[in-house]
Amino acid sequence: MLEINDLVVAYGPVKALDGVNISVPKGKITAVLGANGAGKTSLLRSVSGLVKSRSGNVVLDGTDITKKPVEDMVRLGMAHVPEGRGVIAELTIEENLRLGGLFRKESDAEEQIEGVYKQFPPLDSRRKRSAHTLSGGERQMLVVGRALLAKPKVLLLDEPSLGLAPLVVNQIFTLVRELVDSTGLAVLLVEQNAKSALGIADTGVVLNLGKVVATDDAKALAADEGLRHAYLGF
Amino acid sequence: MTTDSTSGATTPAGAQGSTSNPTPGSRSDSDPKVTAAEGPVRTPGSRLLGSTLVRHTALMLAAYVGIVLLLELVSPFRGSQIGEMAYFVPAVAGLTLLTGLNGQISLGHGALMAVGAYTTAVILEVREDLPFQLVVLIAVIVTSVVGAVVGAAAARLHGPYLAGATLALAVGLPGLALTFEERLGGEQGLRVSPPSSSVNFESFIQGTLGFELSSQKYIAYVGWALALIVLFVLSNLIVSRYGRVWRAVRDDEVAASLAGINLGRARVLAFVVSAACAGVAGAMIAVITRLTAPTTFTIVLSISLLVAIVIGGLGSLVGAIIGSALLVFLRPAVTNLGLDNGLDAAAAANIAPLVYGIVLILVMLLAPRGLVGSIRFAYLTRKAGRQMKAAQQSR
Amino acid sequence: MQQFLNLTLNGITIGFIYAAFALCLVLIFRATRIINFGQGAQAMFTTYIALEVIQRGGSYWLALPIALISGFLLGAFVERVIIRPVETGPEINAVIVTLGIFIGLIALASVVFGNTFEGFVAPFSVRGLTFGDTNINITPNNIYNIVAVLIAMTSLLVLFRFTSLGLQMRASAFGQEVARLLGVRVGRMLTLGWALAGMFGSLAGILIAGGGFISPAFMDGVVVFGFVAAVLGGLDSFIGAVVGGLVLGLTTVYVQGYVGQELQTLAALGILITVLLVKPGGLFSSTVARKV
Repeated sequence: MLEINDLVVAYGPVKALDGVNISVPKGKITAVLGANGAGKTSLLRSVSGLVKSRSGNVVLDGTDITKKPVEDMVRLGMAHVPEGRGVIAELTIEENLRLGGLFRKESDAEEQIEGVYKQFPPLDSRRKRSAHTLSGGERQMLVVGRALLAKPKVLLLDEPSLGLAPLVVNQIFTLVRELVDSTGLAVLLVEQNAKSALGIADTGVVLNLGKVVATDDAKALAADEGLRHAYLGF
Repeated sequence: MTTDSTSGATTPAGAQGSTSNPTPGSRSDSDPKVTAAEGPVRTPGSRLLGSTLVRHTALMLAAYVGIVLLLELVSPFRGSQIGEMAYFVPAVAGLTLLTGLNGQISLGHGALMAVGAYTTAVILEVREDLPFQLVVLIAVIVTSVVGAVVGAAAARLHGPYLAGATLALAVGLPGLALTFEERLGGEQGLRVSPPSSSVNFESFIQGTLGFELSSQKYIAYVGWALALIVLFVLSNLIVSRYGRVWRAVRDDEVAASLAGINLGRARVLAFVVSAACAGVAGAMIAVITRLTAPTTFTIVLSISLLVAIVIGGLGSLVGAIIGSALLVFLRPAVTNLGLDNGLDAAAAANIAPLVYGIVLILVMLLAPRGLVGSIRFAYLTRKAGRQMKAAQQSR
Repeated sequence: MQQFLNLTLNGITIGFIYAAFALCLVLIFRATRIINFGQGAQAMFTTYIALEVIQRGGSYWLALPIALISGFLLGAFVERVIIRPVETGPEINAVIVTLGIFIGLIALASVVFGNTFEGFVAPFSVRGLTFGDTNINITPNNIYNIVAVLIAMTSLLVLFRFTSLGLQMRASAFGQEVARLLGVRVGRMLTLGWALAGMFGSLAGILIAGGGFISPAFMDGVVVFGFVAAVLGGLDSFIGAVVGGLVLGLTTVYVQGYVGQELQTLAALGILITVLLVKPGGLFSSTVARKV
């Protein structure tokens, strides 16, 4: 569904990504792991176009999206939940969700939003409240729900577990797994919490200093103690 | 500009860190560069300062001789233009110190010039016999005091808030002249009696250069003498500890205050210095044009000062001089262009401000360091590149 | 007492116009974090365009929409062509650019339209209303001014709260990057913000002009008053702009009535300094905790 080929991203003389190749197939969760500074966030930001890549390309469902502007991504079927979640705190919960579904071709926005409320009950009771009143976990639910409203083919998730309690992390991850299994969504998950990520992922990609050092089935990676100690911190 | 959803509600005053900086102005000519490769390290302070002072004094004296020669050689019209520069140069130089070096943008310096001018006019009206030098001194003191008050109020303001406050000052201060009509002449303004030329100065000129001194030329000589004195003082301030403090406050408030610098005091001082310069300029305008009226000190004047420093590159005294020259020589040129093309006098007079507006926009869009500043930046970068290569090769 | 009442009514009327102008500044500030010092000059220019229409035989009710549309287009042009390159740089660059617009447009108007004062027709009577025996100092034109501003404000409110376009504009203002990720064409929203502000400014210009005289510099005072009003209300708040406008309106009218016309601007300056030193965020500063 999403192919990342030989991607090079540089900030001046510093290469954040140095020729990265990753494949994100339909109906699977591909987890990108590695220490801070390994290039994980730069990866997602250049895939969605917030950052221009130096060379290489990104292909979404057959279309080359490397040079396309960020604003086109949702229309092309890719949703990106950024690092820090990206809740627009001044807007209400309902307004945040509405934004998610604005650019879909179908006109069943209301229905879909109701669906999100069903999936995330804590959001339901506070629809008209300003989003800044939400806790970390609720915000994560909000942005995931918002991203899904665009009915994407590919979902980019940047460190969803950041700052969340383990129970909540579990909830979110389980939810994502269910979605992938039921709808065939392709997910590119960037995580520092490698253990939990590998628990739900199908494939794991390990980045170190901008290069891919390992790509393997998630369970195999989790079992490889040497690799785990070297790059993943557990 | 903040672009993400985590920016806080903007507070204009107080520490705003480095988001409120102007583009780094070009460094002054006289930054002392002491590198290990140059030989034994000099003791900082006296010796260094001594050589800079001497250098500046020599420069100023040479410049004065040059200007006197120029004034004698050119046509009376050009001569009067050079005389006009004499009152722009201090104002623009003072503003370049305030905005370029210290990062405070002010739209109110036209109003400060008005303070200097009106003070001069009122004094000369009351005591016609006072020597010019004393009158200027009083005007400078009064303007400095006003500058201190404004500076204190403005010390905590940044960027657009400072611009807005000084804009209000520029628009509002002329109102005072209208309110106190009898004293300050109202709409018509005050006539300014020409100051008594110092007899010693006249005979000095007559003796050394051998000719009569017309009152107009006397004013131009004195004006330029004052302008050069201002430049001298400013150029030394810029190299001194004060200059470094002002730059530090401009570049990084937090670091500066952590280093023990009193931000407010530094800012007010910069304001006072620039106000004093505006006072000198105002006094000179009063005497050269023989009139002070609200219509001279409009917002257009303040903005034209801004144009001069923008062209010159914020923070460069050389740029300030070039900018002043541009102001003085451009205005009649474009006005004549308008008249030649069939515009009436009033319309033609507005071509200059139109050009100013366009220049401000274009320079900010194309060369934010100002024209002089961009050239200097290119020169400095190339120089740094060469030094780096030399250092690498000598390893 | 009578004078106080009259002044108060006057103050409220003009306060609404200042509020409209403050609203444009807030609109632009929320969108691009820039204070457009050239806003007054833009409004002045479109008022002159309206004057041209009237002088060529058009009615006021033709000139008004033409002025509003010109304001819209001019605002869009200014943002797209002049402001866009400096939106992301150092603050001072944007300030200088808007000052260039300020002085440039005023000079251009002087060249094109002339420098003298010209009368501008008022659409309604400018004679005070009479109720029985008493004369109150409010004219039908004043009422028109207030109603016009209220209609404009309500439309803006509806646009922002209830339309998809308004939602996109707010998203662009509060979370530019996130909005882009969600598919909002942020650039267009910023341009739209400036265009709407331009339109509002034009309305303020025409309302002020009605029944009086215009000259290229006639909006200079309004820029100062509108700016102070916006800062007083808190540059992020629409309600603040309205309240600020009313305060400024009343203040300037009282100063004019009890002290002297020439000191209005200095009074506004006094308010500005006080606000910035005491409560820099303004009366209605939003204290939304920006946690993630």
